[in-house]
Amino acid sequence: MVDAAPLKQLLKKEGAALVGIGDISKALPREIRHLNRGVAIAVNRGLNKDSIDLLCGLQRSAEDWIRELGFKNLSIPPDSDRRTGKLITRLYKLFCHKTAATCSGLGWIGKNGLIINSRYGSQLSWATVLTDAPLKTDKAITDSECGDCELCVKHCPSGALKGGKWSLSDPLKQMVYYDRCKALKSNRQRFDEKPNCGLCVTICPYSRKSRKKSMKEKI
Amino acid sequence: MADDAKKKEIYEKLRNGVIQYDEDACKEGAQEAIDAGLDANEAIFDGLVSGMEEVGRLFEAQEYFVPEILMCADALYAGLDILKPHCKQMDLGVKGSVVIGTVEGDVHDIGKNLVKMMFDVAGFNVYDLGRDVPLDKFVEEQLKTDSELVCLSAMMTTSMVGMPKVIEKIKEKNPNCMIMIGGAPTSKELADKWGADGYAEDASNALKEAIKMVAFLKKLRDEKLKK
Ligand code: B12
Ligand code: SF4
Ligand code: SF4
Repeated sequence: MVDAAPLKQLLKKEGAALVGIGDISKALPREIRHLNRGVAIAVNRGLNKDSIDLLCGLQRSAEDWIRELGFKNLSIPPDSDRRTGKLITRLYKLFCHKTAATCSGLGWIGKNGLIINSRYGSQLSWATVLTDAPLKTDKAITDSECGDCELCVKHCPSGALKGGKWSLSDPLKQMVYYDRCKALKSNRQRFDEKPNCGLCVTICPYSRKSRKKSMKEKI
Repeated sequence: MADDAKKKEIYEKLRNGVIQYDEDACKEGAQEAIDAGLDANEAIFDGLVSGMEEVGRLFEAQEYFVPEILMCADALYAGLDILKPHCKQMDLGVKGSVVIGTVEGDVHDIGKNLVKMMFDVAGFNVYDLGRDVPLDKFVEEQLKTDSELVCLSAMMTTSMVGMPKVIEKIKEKNPNCMIMIGGAPTSKELADKWGADGYAEDASNALKEAIKMVAFLKKLRDEKLKK
């Protein structure tokens, strides 16, 4: 068993908001089954404009740290869906960041279909480094803490959110009609607006609480 | 013309670049090979492909897994992109063309792409039909291109049942065409039962088969050069 505390410290020093280690062995397809630990890394989107660059840099630091110990790793980039052209990019869609986040106890999947962290809400961007290093794992989150709140479901302009409660016992439950969200996105693009709606992020009380906090920190 | 030591050094760089999945090293090595006036075909086979053979060995020894293989292949392609325009038409004595695809109902194409890549490198004409390919499309494409080899891939027990239908139809129209099948649920027994000529156990073995095929082609080429 390898102590992951130094890795977490390193990444936080470099700008990560959250770092967790998840046992993801139940969620891996054949091609990458040997990489049974997921290092989930999140950065605060409210504070970082170029969160994708920052995440990629953090991934490289984690890779170096793991390689130094003599283990394998595979980074799933934050913008995995935009990476094409190479053979390795085909593996990216075999893994989704939300899985590493729940398995490492950094959040549950809210009614908005996104990872909700109790401190930062869903105002986070995620990246994952998969590895076969036997890092000490964190405890997975098993249940949603949305409670009776349904704000995102009520206010989603495309009616994309189904409103179900997520739990680790049925982790693959579909929470979102993605085609509706996508359709809205492309419609907005046509009108030259900012394509991402993201209302489901901003309306969530957990996200709002976090935004207030980080505004205070800035001042 | 570069001397032998220089040549060896460049080939070694290409080889190691592939093994260590270092795209930049492969690009550099490829450019050096061209600048030194080396034969591009030779640089591909004795440099890049020789590296991929070692990768195949590492894979068999379970030191490398699918992600490493893909990254090695990306590195190989990076070098190949630079060397290819400088290649003389490769005459391996066994000119071949191959139709390849994943059968209807199945979207797993990682293994298929690995095999395809090896055929590409070996100078085959590859007609890649992609994934989830309607069964009749294989038959049509084979007739249209008059390919010697058809490779069928399936990763699911539900999709592999389409294979015997394709094999039967192709053999009916063109008994000389060779057919190789592969993918996790298939087996040597099924290949025999369905009348296929070749078989690879899964994506990894398909890769090994393909590597063996390339090694074989290389040997043919070397023998030809000797004459
Ligand atoms: C493609 C994509 C989209 C597409 C469509 C999604 C789709 N599935 O078709 C569209 C364009 C619609 C979209 C929209 C948005 N997206 Co988006 N998207 C992605 C992307 C690239 C891939 C997601 C994917 O396809 N996953 C596959 C499906 C099958 O899984 P899933 O339903 O998402 O998640 C399941 C698993 O994680 C599983 N699971 C969870 N825990 C466990 C545990 C175990 C043991 C197991 C087995 C499984 C399991 O259950 C989940 C729930 O069903 C990810 C990045 C990534 N690589 O993860 C970002 C990502 C999910 N998106 C993100 C965001 C922020 C958004 C938007 C708000 C837009 C925006 N402003 O960027 C909207 C919100 C829509 C919504 N409410 O969900 C963030 C989420 C951050 C967070 N806090 O959760 C991500 C992670 C990007 C990132 N790098 O941060 N997205
Ligand atoms: S991004 Fe907008 S449209 Fe898509 S789910 Fe969230 S609120 Fe709904
Ligand atoms: S807005 Fe409410 S229901 Fe939606 S994700 Fe946040 S807490 Fe859960």
